[in-house]
Amino acid sequence: MKPKWIGLIILIVAMAAVLGYFLIAPKPVDKINGYLGGEKIGLFEDENFKKEMAKKFSLEVNYRKAGSLDMVKADKDGMSYLFPASQTALELYKEEIGSPKRSEIILNTPLVIYSHAMVRDSLQKDGIVYESNGSYFMDMEKFVTAVKEGKTWADIGLPQLYGSILVKTTDPTKSNSGNMFAGLVANAMNGGRVVDSMSVHKVLPDLKDFFKKMGYMDTSSADLFDQFLKIGVGSYPMIAAYENQILEFAVTNPDVWEKVGDDLCIIYPTPTVYSSHVMIALDDKGDYAIDALMDPVIQDIAWKDHGFRTGISGNQEETDVFGVNGVLSQVTGVMPMPDFRTMDIIVKELSN
Amino acid sequence: MSKKTFISVLLILLLLLSACSVGRKSDNKNSGSKQNIFGTGGTRIRIVSGSENKELEPIIEQYCKKNKVTIEMTYMGSVDIMRQLQGGAADFDAVWPASSIWISMGDTDFKVKHTESTSLSPIVFGIKKSLAESMGFVGKEVSINDIMSKISSGELKFCMTSATQSNSGAGAYLGFLSGLSGNPEVLTKEDLQKQQLKEDITNLLSGVDRSSGSSEWLKTLFLNGDYDSMVNYESLIITTNQELTARGEEPLYLIYPYDGLSISDSPLGYIDRGDKKKEEAFLDFQAYLLSEEVQSELQKLGRRTGYEGVFEENKGVFKKEWGIDTDRILSPIKLPTADVIMEALNLYQGEFRKPSLSIYCLDFSGSMKGKGEREVKEAMDLILDQEKAKELLLQANPSEVNQVIFFNSNIIDSVIIDPSTEEALNELNERIKNQSAGGGTDMYRAMLEGLITLESYDLNNYNPAIILLTDGESGGRFDYFKTAYEELGQDIPVFSIMFGDANPEQLEEIAEYTGARVFDGRENLAGAFRSVKGYN
Repeated sequence: MKPKWIGLIILIVAMAAVLGYFLIAPKPVDKINGYLGGEKIGLFEDENFKKEMAKKFSLEVNYRKAGSLDMVKADKDGMSYLFPASQTALELYKEEIGSPKRSEIILNTPLVIYSHAMVRDSLQKDGIVYESNGSYFMDMEKFVTAVKEGKTWADIGLPQLYGSILVKTTDPTKSNSGNMFAGLVANAMNGGRVVDSMSVHKVLPDLKDFFKKMGYMDTSSADLFDQFLKIGVGSYPMIAAYENQILEFAVTNPDVWEKVGDDLCIIYPTPTVYSSHVMIALDDKGDYAIDALMDPVIQDIAWKDHGFRTGISGNQEETDVFGVNGVLSQVTGVMPMPDFRTMDIIVKELSN
Repeated sequence: MSKKTFISVLLILLLLLSACSVGRKSDNKNSGSKQNIFGTGGTRIRIVSGSENKELEPIIEQYCKKNKVTIEMTYMGSVDIMRQLQGGAADFDAVWPASSIWISMGDTDFKVKHTESTSLSPIVFGIKKSLAESMGFVGKEVSINDIMSKISSGELKFCMTSATQSNSGAGAYLGFLSGLSGNPEVLTKEDLQKQQLKEDITNLLSGVDRSSGSSEWLKTLFLNGDYDSMVNYESLIITTNQELTARGEEPLYLIYPYDGLSISDSPLGYIDRGDKKKEEAFLDFQAYLLSEEVQSELQKLGRRTGYEGVFEENKGVFKKEWGIDTDRILSPIKLPTADVIMEALNLYQGEFRKPSLSIYCLDFSGSMKGKGEREVKEAMDLILDQEKAKELLLQANPSEVNQVIFFNSNIIDSVIIDPSTEEALNELNERIKNQSAGGGTDMYRAMLEGLITLESYDLNNYNPAIILLTDGESGGRFDYFKTAYEELGQDIPVFSIMFGDANPEQLEEIAEYTGARVFDGRENLAGAFRSVKGYN
């Protein structure tokens, strides 16, 4: 063989080796970062979730915790996505920054009230809470009236609790669950009709009083829920948070749940509102992450292990697996949130 | 020596060396605070924590021994932890204040995650049981107003941490304000402006007979002194009682004012800077603290934990005869909004708290020439210039008294200002700037001069303290001072802030004798002053 052929063969073999290496070697994992609402941290820290994201999509999704409304205004340098808990945050984004690269609703969960058996039972005697087929519901108009009248816990037979009847929420000017609850209360104060930018002015004084009574408010629904669970009924007789939080807690802490599951209870406000967790892509990587999160396997993890309803709202779901009493398989009695302009008026009023 | 024995000797030596490295102390140049270090692992978690967690050090040490991790504990007051967070907390990987509000008020750029409450403890009054009985507080629901009336009648005095320094002080103070305002749903700025509240809270705080910058040190002070009552965490009062009963002394009876109760939830959170390995180590440590085994250990230290309350095996820690009932629902007041909290703290510092009577003894001897002299002037500027002082929540209360004694081997000069108006403080500041150093040193002489001033005041109306700013090298005789101190018969702490070529030996001796502490002013002056002022 002529020497120049040998050279060529060596070259071809070398090229094949390099090509082969790239074909067989695992794809490098792309690390991305963004702002995440605290209630979804459990999902993002889930080992199965991380594994699936790495295996199927070569993604490592990191995050920084921030309130849904706060994150829109936060420094987005180096961030690929925002993942707030509402469409209000998306509207705010459009208003402040402009049209995002892409946005999709990834997860859904209704806003609910968490309480303890003794509080629920007293409210039931008072007619504010009622039971139907093992699930509990709160009549929002009756509740709002009781708060406005300054009814105390002692008035409904709970002298052990300090002060007047109240639901604690996150700060409605910073975090989504509190913000949505403000929308819900505004609607209830408006006789059960959705407030708009005109009618909202009628309810603003009462709405402001309602939130003023809470004093210091947390900015994260995850922290609020943790405190509700640990500090007990004296500090947190009732909180407003997402339905998925208790489902996730029961799945992740079965031993604890067995001991406390009969005391902790879920009450559905009627009507309630749905929290639609919408992902906002800030760059190509964020866009790709949206595709990954919409994958059926990921969506399955989100429901079964973290309690996020994933299909379109109103889907019938199997809820017994969680072992939580009174979870609705289908949430009806859902009311739309006031529109963005109206919510903006509410937030501005509550910020003062 | 055979080779085998030689190797075993070597191994033993190595083991001893590594054992010595557990619980080392070191100085952090940047934060200027002392820290305690556990373990020798490669991954290092630097935690800034409230002082009440000092009691958990054996639990932390145990963890570090078993795991390849090093944990650094730096203790600070809650307000300072909030400030650290606001400034980015570059020296720390995790925060562990006594209450969640300090994290949410400090974490303005959302760096903190994985926050979980590690234990609970209400802030309560611990009163000598015989005194509590004679005041009719045993087996009864007690309100803030009940407590105030006992303070007005002179029956009750208490020790408490400074509200602008420590969470237990802040929590108790916010409870007082709420109770004295007639239990509003939540305290507002308007409430804080009411004349009646100003009178009542000033009256209540006049019952403070000793203040402290940290909850843990308040406990130490209480155990070493002769006091009737303190406001502190339930857990620290339980451990105080454990020690009191071991000594055969009378324990404290716990009072939970029903209209002014605060609860600390001891949250531990991670400051995220993208270091995955560190984050995993943090989560593992946090999981250890939340494990059933460790939660049970925490209960033995008097903390309430977990979802389902105190375990059967630990029920005995929370003694009924001390007034504790873990089955009772604790219903705290609602904390006011962040701006009301900050306003309340400013009012505490500048107006409501018992006025301090501070005697600053400034060393202008020859050894202070140059660096030491300059540092002392800068230090005094920080506290006398009210703009600067306010930033640190150290502003003067107009009714407080300040004296400056300039000394070398003699008294060079002495200036008293009473009342402490801004104008008078500025004049004093100028006077200090014009002083130059020279001559020998006798700090005992200056301290004696301070005692003479104190004798002329009714000390029931003030929180008195002598504060030495010096390099600590002094001639003169301590025993002369001691005789005069005993003659005066009052509880006057003599704090020292060291400057120049500091030598702490003589200063430690004075601090120990008077129930005070020595601080280093060269590394973190603001921190040293905040500490000293926390005590008066």
